[in-house]
Amino acid sequence: MSIAIECKNLDIGFRNAESDVTIIAGLDLAIETGEFLTILGPSGCGKSTLLRVIADLLGPLKGTISVLGSDPHLARQSRQIGFVFQDATLLPWRNVRDNIELPTRVGGNARKPLPENRTDALISMLGLDGLGERFPHQLSGGQRQRVAIARALIEEPQLLLMDEPFGALDEITRDRLNNELLAIWRRTGTTILFVTHSIMEAVYLGQRVMVMATNPGRVLEIVDLGEIKTADNACSREDPRIISAMAEMRVALEAAS
Amino acid sequence: MMERPLSRQALIVLPIMGATLILAAWQFLVPLAGIPAYIVPTPTTIAGVFANQWPLLISNLWPTLFESIAGFLIGNSVAVLLAIIFAYSRVMQAAYFPVILFFNTIPILALAPIIILIFGLGMLPKIIIAAVICFFPTLVNMIRGLNSATRNEQELLRILSATPWEIFWQLRFPRSLPMLFSSLRIASTTCVIGAIVGEWIGSDKGLGALIIQATFNYRAGQLYAAIVLSSSMAILLFAIVAYIEKKVIDYT
Repeated sequence: MSIAIECKNLDIGFRNAESDVTIIAGLDLAIETGEFLTILGPSGCGKSTLLRVIADLLGPLKGTISVLGSDPHLARQSRQIGFVFQDATLLPWRNVRDNIELPTRVGGNARKPLPENRTDALISMLGLDGLGERFPHQLSGGQRQRVAIARALIEEPQLLLMDEPFGALDEITRDRLNNELLAIWRRTGTTILFVTHSIMEAVYLGQRVMVMATNPGRVLEIVDLGEIKTADNACSREDPRIISAMAEMRVALEAAS
Repeated sequence: MMERPLSRQALIVLPIMGATLILAAWQFLVPLAGIPAYIVPTPTTIAGVFANQWPLLISNLWPTLFESIAGFLIGNSVAVLLAIIFAYSRVMQAAYFPVILFFNTIPILALAPIIILIFGLGMLPKIIIAAVICFFPTLVNMIRGLNSATRNEQELLRILSATPWEIFWQLRFPRSLPMLFSSLRIASTTCVIGAIVGEWIGSDKGLGALIIQATFNYRAGQLYAAIVLSSSMAILLFAIVAYIEKKVIDYT
């Protein structure tokens, strides 16, 4: 297995005029290609900031990071990163189809032409049939988030970064989208980093769960769920081993807060 | 308890009824109160002016309409261009926005004679006054509109390696349109005020000139007819802008 993301002794945070504000210090992390890693932690622990550093939206303060075998900047420019925000961030003046195709309309000429029917296939895959001409305000929260995922997938990125994408949805919709996301992951083999503050979601989706704590931001543990899940990362939410893994994480999070 | 929304018919009939009642009261109460017709004419007198002096009214309407539309187009175009410069250059904004703000605080009635002194008595100074009056609200709204993209939207375009040109056309400009149109709606009525103020100060044609002449000659019917005509013109311009807005911002 090759390594998709590797961080060595990485400090992340914000640069101010006077001094740097470090959120996570000395992070060492290796994520394999094709892995589904969930990042779990309370607000302020730096999980979204980590995603932003990987996506080259923010530079690291110290240490090294490699994304898809190169600098995050090059990885971003080669269009190998898809990003899904907590709010769907759809452009209100573009309909569903045009929002999904946005990545193929910007970024200079360095893009490969879009295969025919690609948008239709994604619309279908994400259960958006018949909604292609609708505008964002005509969609439900769950539908908007599906459009955002389709947009992130349109260029078939090797890496999908998801920043609490289902955090604002009701539980029923969230469960359904969790299952659909797993199906997409199995089908595409994309490496996924998924930030959440739901313990259930983290355990249900991830092959490994990176549990983080705040003040200072740090990694508490990385829990490998390989032994209690099937080879294709499936499990039952009612499985006692899943429930006990969740309980252990809850205890760890409470002890650290 | 929530009131039931009014029906479509009621929304048409009620304002007509309201206006009719006011006009009827005006028609009967003004003579009853002994107010002479050369001070406040009745609605039928004003209607008579429209019937008898239509060529005079219409020949004075065209210059004002032309000045208003030209002022609207020029004032708003300059404001939009300047807003784009300011939105992209904090240095330019810091250097020139205070000057523009100061300029805007000068009352238009004080500024108009200066503009007429410089540009003479033709149509040009009226167009400039109409442009000046449109300019500031559009500038402020457009700067705010161009800066109204959310952090996530900006990050999305950055992840997609969008060029500055693409960020402008795909994000910042469409984001600014609702705010631009709210100021264009305001400008569509104030540009008429600008043209009329300009005509007051130095002109022998246009609705502004007609208003001044009618006032000093105690031709109250003509005065009121000119006012009705200028209001109608402003409402028409407003309706055109609102119609274009509906066509452009068709996604809400």
